Amino acid sequence: MHAGLFALILAVAPAPLTGRQTQAVQPAQPTPAGARAVEAPPGSPLGSSSAPQAVALSTQALDSLRELVSRFRRDPEAVQIPADDAVAMGGRTIEAGTTVTGPVAVAGGPLHVFGTVNGDAVAIGTDVIVHAGGRVTGNAIAALGQVTLDGGTVTGEIKQLSGALGAIETPAAVRESPLDATRHAVALSVSWLVILVLIGIGVLLFAAGYLDGVTESLEGKFGRSFWAGIAAQLALAPVLCLIIVALAVTVLGILLIPFAIVAFVLAVAGLVTIGFLAVARITGESLAPSAARRYHPRGAALRALVIGVTLYMGLWVLASAFAWAPTVELVLRGVAVAITWVAATAGLGAAVLSRGGTRRPTETLPAVAAVNDLPWQTPTPVTGVVAARRPTPSSSTTRER
Amino acid sequence: MRSRHGVALAVAALGASPGAGVAQSWRTLDVSRQLADSAPTSVQVVYGTGSFGLRGTTSPLLYHMQLRYDGERTKPRHSYDAAARKLSLGVADADVKFSGRKDDESGRLQVELSRVMPLDLSLDLGAVDADVDLTGLRVQRLRLQSGASDARLRFDSLNATRMELLDISLGAASFRGLRLANANAREIRVDAGVGNVELDMAGQWTQDIDLRVEVSLGIVTIHVPTDVGIRVALQKVIASFDHEGLEQRDGAWVSSNWETAPRKLRITAETVLGKLTVDRTGR
Repeated sequence: MHAGLFALILAVAPAPLTGRQTQAVQPAQPTPAGARAVEAPPGSPLGSSSAPQAVALSTQALDSLRELVSRFRRDPEAVQIPADDAVAMGGRTIEAGTTVTGPVAVAGGPLHVFGTVNGDAVAIGTDVIVHAGGRVTGNAIAALGQVTLDGGTVTGEIKQLSGALGAIETPAAVRESPLDATRHAVALSVSWLVILVLIGIGVLLFAAGYLDGVTESLEGKFGRSFWAGIAAQLALAPVLCLIIVALAVTVLGILLIPFAIVAFVLAVAGLVTIGFLAVARITGESLAPSAARRYHPRGAALRALVIGVTLYMGLWVLASAFAWAPTVELVLRGVAVAITWVAATAGLGAAVLSRGGTRRPTETLPAVAAVNDLPWQTPTPVTGVVAARRPTPSSSTTRER
Repeated sequence: MRSRHGVALAVAALGASPGAGVAQSWRTLDVSRQLADSAPTSVQVVYGTGSFGLRGTTSPLLYHMQLRYDGERTKPRHSYDAAARKLSLGVADADVKFSGRKDDESGRLQVELSRVMPLDLSLDLGAVDADVDLTGLRVQRLRLQSGASDARLRFDSLNATRMELLDISLGAASFRGLRLANANAREIRVDAGVGNVELDMAGQWTQDIDLRVEVSLGIVTIHVPTDVGIRVALQKVIASFDHEGLEQRDGAWVSSNWETAPRKLRITAETVLGKLTVDRTGR
């Protein structure tokens, strides 16, 4: 009956047995003193004369136990155990006064140790009980069971495993399905798009002046901004090192180095972000030039910003949508990386050139007509009366009119 | 317009739907070793994320470790070198990283150590909720390193062994040390980056204590019994110092009972930004 119940539970539960399940199928074996078995040779199968407390198991139950033993062998916490035919299925007793060379392994029934096990004592799906006078010179291990010290000694470790038993799948072995991977990648890209749009709205609301400054710096000077952006990228590490060294030369500055590093990173991130948003805005304006006439300036700026950000981040979303096709995804991601880098670099350059949007491009002054000063470098008359009025650009222009 | 709503709904659904769940394989490992002798032992415990507890055991065991962990992410560590008397418990060093899981999904490590043998204890904790109860243990040396944790350390009874050094190093953490006089340590060092540090110096004073506290950014509160003399040497940059009951003398802040107190606490504090409070309410 026990065997049938055991097989039934094993058949129903494809997952590893829990400790409670294995306890439920183990036959009650009080092991009265008078019923102790004589020395059980290693690997005694169930039902042998040397294991009187064992119960007969069906073939199906034995197969299930062998599967359990196989799982234990693959477990990272497992130790070396004998071959399957040497694993006592149903339990085993090491008699008092006897010495058995380990490892000794049982499955489906408890391992009672009254004598000595020279090596490891292993119980799979059951318990190890080390009784008074019993001794295990190695480790006592119970997988999905318990190790009980009933007056005995264990020289090595006493180990109990519960939960999932068997080989642990590495994350690489449990890769996402193509559909899940695609969904995950698209969700990630769309999230970034939304985040950038929200940041852009925040900048328009609270720092529109700075964004306007960077945008104006970028308009008409894209090439200069791009090269300035590359120079800025190359200078990032040296500048940071310079700041750290400059702070380190003073005692007070050393304490400020961590704060300076954080501030530097935040400043660079801010410049890149506002620069990228400026590029996105210009891109959006160029794609919908009529919006500037139809909407309020702020509305037109917002519309242009959203269009631009969507365009740039749309490349990433598109690449993510092909996550199921790695080659296509790689090509599209390469394109997205290149375009985004150009945009971010130009934006960073514009942000640097405009000092974060605080310095607008200076207006070109009208050319000043050259005046020949030499004829007028005559001494002023002593009487103080000027001989003639010196021509100035404005006066000459007036005369020309 | 309908298509726009459709796109919006699709985006919302994609964002709201959980990604492919990372498979987990939760296991529980229960490891212990019978006590063979009472020779001094060096113990190192390494743990990354989850909840951590350490206490003494009255069972005849050298150690007892219960670890609940995700087998896919964590590799347990439990080794004992009987010749070198070195015990390593917890998880592999590489697993000391933040997983970002919720509390109910996190792992758990509970360690019990023998109260018989003298211990040289080293705790390397990552982002954990730690409760270290050293009551009844014989701790010769304690080094606690923690990244971003909420840690509590307490000695509810006098450490049976005189401690050479109590060294606490914290990253961004909240730390409470309770009844630290029971640590029986001549020197206590607390080095914290960012966070709140609360040191309760109550307990049985067997000797004068040197307390060195370095906190870059945070609040340090030191509770001292009223019958203990206090001398505070403070170096601060942008920090406040609550020195109620202390008077400035020879470049340091001292309590009025400094000369007459049977036991003395010498505090050397360095803080950049924050607040240092010495509380003498006898807590």
